[in-house]
Amino acid sequence: MLVVETNDLTKIYDNRYIALNALTLNVEKGMVFGLVGPNGAGKSTTFRILLGLQKATAGTASVLGEPMSAERADLRRRIGFLPTNPKFPRNLTPIQYLEFVGAISGLPADRAKVQLARLLQAVDLTGAASQRIEGFSTGMLTRLGIAASLMNDPELLILDEPTSGLDPSGRKQTIELIRELSGRDRTIIIATHILGDVERVCTDVGIISAGRMIYTGPMTEMRRLARHGTVSVEIEGNTTAFEQQVHTLDEIGSLAWERLGSEFRITFLGAEPLPNYVQRVLGLVDRTGVELLHIRTGADEIEEAFLRRLEEDRTRGFLRAAAWAATQELRPGDAPEAPGESETPSESETVDAGVSGDPAV
Amino acid sequence: MQAFLAILRYDLGQLARSWLVRIWVVLLVAPALFLTVVASSENELASETLGAYLGAVLAPLSGVAIAVITAAAVSGESGIIADSILSRSVTRSEYLWAKIASRIGVTLALYFAIVIPLIYLVTRYAVNDVSAGGTLVGVLMVASLLGFLAALGITLSTLMRNVLMAVLVLLLALVSSGVILQFLGLTWLSTTAVLNDLPDTFRGDTGAWDSVRVLLLFPMMSVLALFAAMWTFRQKDL
Repeated sequence: MLVVETNDLTKIYDNRYIALNALTLNVEKGMVFGLVGPNGAGKSTTFRILLGLQKATAGTASVLGEPMSAERADLRRRIGFLPTNPKFPRNLTPIQYLEFVGAISGLPADRAKVQLARLLQAVDLTGAASQRIEGFSTGMLTRLGIAASLMNDPELLILDEPTSGLDPSGRKQTIELIRELSGRDRTIIIATHILGDVERVCTDVGIISAGRMIYTGPMTEMRRLARHGTVSVEIEGNTTAFEQQVHTLDEIGSLAWERLGSEFRITFLGAEPLPNYVQRVLGLVDRTGVELLHIRTGADEIEEAFLRRLEEDRTRGFLRAAAWAATQELRPGDAPEAPGESETPSESETVDAGVSGDPAV
Repeated sequence: MQAFLAILRYDLGQLARSWLVRIWVVLLVAPALFLTVVASSENELASETLGAYLGAVLAPLSGVAIAVITAAAVSGESGIIADSILSRSVTRSEYLWAKIASRIGVTLALYFAIVIPLIYLVTRYAVNDVSAGGTLVGVLMVASLLGFLAALGITLSTLMRNVLMAVLVLLLALVSSGVILQFLGLTWLSTTAVLNDLPDTFRGDTGAWDSVRVLLLFPMMSVLALFAAMWTFRQKDL
């Protein structure tokens, strides 16, 4: 069952800024879905539309199987939301605020009391329960936001940058908390640009760039992608000989490499299995007589794969524009309009479909 | 309904904690007591005393206070609305109706809480020249003016993100409305005209139609302003 489903979701602010460009996002029940992308990619806008806080310019957004709008309070009752750097009524205490959240969520007062006590303990704010929110640190505010998002025991939990502004221990605590919350039929969507967080807790990942979903797939696939084709070796000895022969490891144009001191990072662009490439590199080490200090596959793993996806997406911009123009049946010589300028650029998805969910492309 | 009541309770709590409301109450009560004492010792006419208090003290002071508390109703918590309230199971209508009930309710409750005892004291200790019907009409006319100002303030707070700008626009509209209405030949609709005529109204010397049209028009304009606020707020991206 799809808990979140968007089709060609487009948001254009004041006819000036395209925040979402035919975004297609499908999140299934029970997933911990990491929405990854640089700042300004459209993560928060997507969430705001999913919560009915903003209207889509075009396209559709369904949550828990039903279309979302500003007046769908019944749907929001089943969703928990933690915004980035959440803002609260400053002169309330956490208890007063969570009581208020319980009341607007339709919880009976006695049940809300039990729930808030349990949650304040879970997010380690029991000691600060009588303090006013205005004196809270960023970490405390985030933890209070997590508690508030769980007051109604939601089926879908949306966390926008949950570890932003947290110190390492706060971050670790939050990640552990999210891990605890996953499962039990609960679906979680986490937006972040901290890839380590995604790797730790997510089962699936989507990469969003300039308002478009450029990749979606399971985390295991992302990890495989990250490792695919990259072999790093750290060597000692006649490194010059090794450097001179690196290009012989594969055909011209099928190989990229860089040297970082004594480390060589070799990326094979072909489609052979990774062990073949490792074998070849080890063969070169043997032939050149250098001493092998360290070898590993993958580099910065997820981060590397993420950046590669973004780069690929950028270089495919012209292809997308051409495909879009073709589907518009433009006459030869007509200047193709960029896909983002269309109010309903569903055609751009035709090209995206090859990218999204298909890591091999 | 539960969300409406929760937001109403929350907003009333916010207003009760507000220093502006506390200062407003003090600034209204102190001159009321002072005028009662003066009217009693100097044998002033009750109609003139009430007219002077409402026109020269209550209306200008309340004008500023109402402008601030209503223009800040929505725009004053722009960050909190999305993060803490409307992202939960609350509709925009519930939120805005709760705000309207709270802000206009406090404005009118405060007004009646001060004016009713004042009328009793002034008519008892000063020279009682007011009629019961005229007093009722005069009190309701000022209430409808204050209610309209509050409704306009809430409308502006849904339109503008900046509280200070919303307050300034509201006060500017209030000040300039006299000139504009005079230019349009609708002087009777201006707040100045209504307030200046209050002593006559309290004595029951104002024509029935003159009173009725004010009592009809301001509430109607308030309702229109509130529907405009509701429409704007429901369309707005948060």
